[in-house]
Amino acid sequence: MNHKANILVVDDEEPISEMISAGLSDQGYKVSAAFTGEEGVRKMSGDKFDLVILDIMMPGMDGIAALGEIKKLDPEVEVIMVTGHGTMGTAIQSMRRGAFDYLHKPFEITELFAVVERALEKRKFNDITKAIFSTIKSEELLRIIIDSAVRILKADEALLVLLDAAGRPYIAVSEGLNGEPRKISRLQASSRILARLADDKGTSVVLIEDPLKDALFADIEHIGEVKFAMLLPLIEGNKLLGLININRMQLDEYFNENDMQRAKIFASLVNLALRNANLYKQLQETQSQLIQAEKMSALGQLAGGLAHEINNPLSGILGLTQLVLEKMNADTQSYQDLKDIEKAVFRCKKIIASLLSFARQEKTRLEPININEAIEETLVLCARQMELKHITIVREFGAELPPVNADFQQLMQVFLNLFTNARDAMPDGGTITIRTHLASPAPDKKELLAVSLADTGSGIPQEILDRVFDPFFTTKPAGKGTGLGLSVCLGIINRHNGAILAHSEPGKGSVFTLYLPVG
Amino acid sequence: MSKRILVVDDEELVRNYVTRALLSRGYDVITAVDGASAVAIIEKEDFDLAICDLKMPDLRGEEVIRRLKVRRPLTSVIVITGSVSDISNPILPMLSVDGFLIKPFGINEVREMVEKILKAK
Repeated sequence: MNHKANILVVDDEEPISEMISAGLSDQGYKVSAAFTGEEGVRKMSGDKFDLVILDIMMPGMDGIAALGEIKKLDPEVEVIMVTGHGTMGTAIQSMRRGAFDYLHKPFEITELFAVVERALEKRKFNDITKAIFSTIKSEELLRIIIDSAVRILKADEALLVLLDAAGRPYIAVSEGLNGEPRKISRLQASSRILARLADDKGTSVVLIEDPLKDALFADIEHIGEVKFAMLLPLIEGNKLLGLININRMQLDEYFNENDMQRAKIFASLVNLALRNANLYKQLQETQSQLIQAEKMSALGQLAGGLAHEINNPLSGILGLTQLVLEKMNADTQSYQDLKDIEKAVFRCKKIIASLLSFARQEKTRLEPININEAIEETLVLCARQMELKHITIVREFGAELPPVNADFQQLMQVFLNLFTNARDAMPDGGTITIRTHLASPAPDKKELLAVSLADTGSGIPQEILDRVFDPFFTTKPAGKGTGLGLSVCLGIINRHNGAILAHSEPGKGSVFTLYLPVG
Repeated sequence: MSKRILVVDDEELVRNYVTRALLSRGYDVITAVDGASAVAIIEKEDFDLAICDLKMPDLRGEEVIRRLKVRRPLTSVIVITGSVSDISNPILPMLSVDGFLIKPFGINEVREMVEKILKAK
């Protein structure tokens, strides 16, 4: 299992060097030997080693000098110093220079193995820590952690079980689990422990010996393969996030106190990784919001200026067309053509009006308002349209919701936009479900109110879902939409320090959710 | 005697159709192509109503209207604007403007507004 570790032994005394090398090779390590400090340094610069065992007393370059050179070449390599008589002082000196530990001659070979193992373990943890700070792909990071857990704990399999948004356990990462039946088996066992932890508010490590004999697991297929199971709950704040399950399949390979200590380190690493991943996701979201805001404000200014310029000639087209129309016989083709021009102008007028409302950075007048009332008011405006399109409105309004600080008119504009979109997504009728409720607080602990609008329409394909808030993005046929509705909504909600999110399942419908800070 | 209306807009297209829409209803129309010529007309000619664009290159519409109200306080005023937000322009209420035409507007919008305002006088 440890054959991957590459060890360099630097000792001028051949018999000792040979004994160390042979012993380590037997343990499965890959060993190279050097007989002087200089040779050791040379080998270091050519090859990659995980660990160096370095004698202090050597002719020529001594161990202390070699240690300095070696650490220069690879600061992360672990070094174990070997000392003779009267070199205790130098041993301590070498520790200060970054050696991992020292062995006092003469030493038992098992003593050496124990130190080597500890040194390599530390190196592995270093690698994980480095990965945490350099890897941003959370899945990769979790894989590294679970992979190391199996190796360091000399286990046969390990899995990280997390809870999805609905609270259902799933295997996020696993190592050593071959085939679907095994995955199902271990996930079942973990789920039962999770259920128990959730009930008992348990936070401590669970150790299970021979799960087949445990009534809680006995009926699970393939569980007999596991002889010893360790399950570590992952807890963030007061919330149970999931667990790490580490299994050994051989008889007599108990988990001891030491194993549990090390396993706890893995649990905290996973916690750290998850928190990191979350922060990164938040950072990305904030960034894209900033970019969006930037885009909108630049576009808004441009659009505002443009709209004013266009309104002049447009007004001319409208007025002159109408003057000609007055003098024409309504039966002629030209009369019809001019009527079409007139209609086209009205369409332009509508587009420009929404463009201007988008460009206008109007001051938002915030006052405490009842969100349910704002929705009802909007529904009054569009009730008739909905009826005509055979759309049923379902209200799932939360009772006694706290007021939100908002601009009533602007919120109505947002709701009207969302209702109109939902209506257009359901040309053959359907249902709009409006839900208002208190959402879990924002990261800054501010209370949030959530409003979700779900339609039963055609849904939005995943690939365009993140573009729906872009100005001028529209899927409606030419002339039906300006492509500004949702970007206006986004602008308004941003000015309210809120958020608006779109979810959609093609074929099932779309859900738009607004979050607004409470009063 | 027919009512006299001053139309002020630097945009020829707009001036053109507004003028003709009113002429065909029997009003007497005089026009100004910018703020300065509007002020010159205000100084020497009499009329019942001014229709005035706000955004002009030389003199802003607000200033033209202000001078008009100083010289002839009883004359009615309709403001032409390219933006709804001009309605909340705080200067305009102080000048007691009688109505707004928001571009693009049609000929009947002008006629109806003019008729209503002149009738009320």
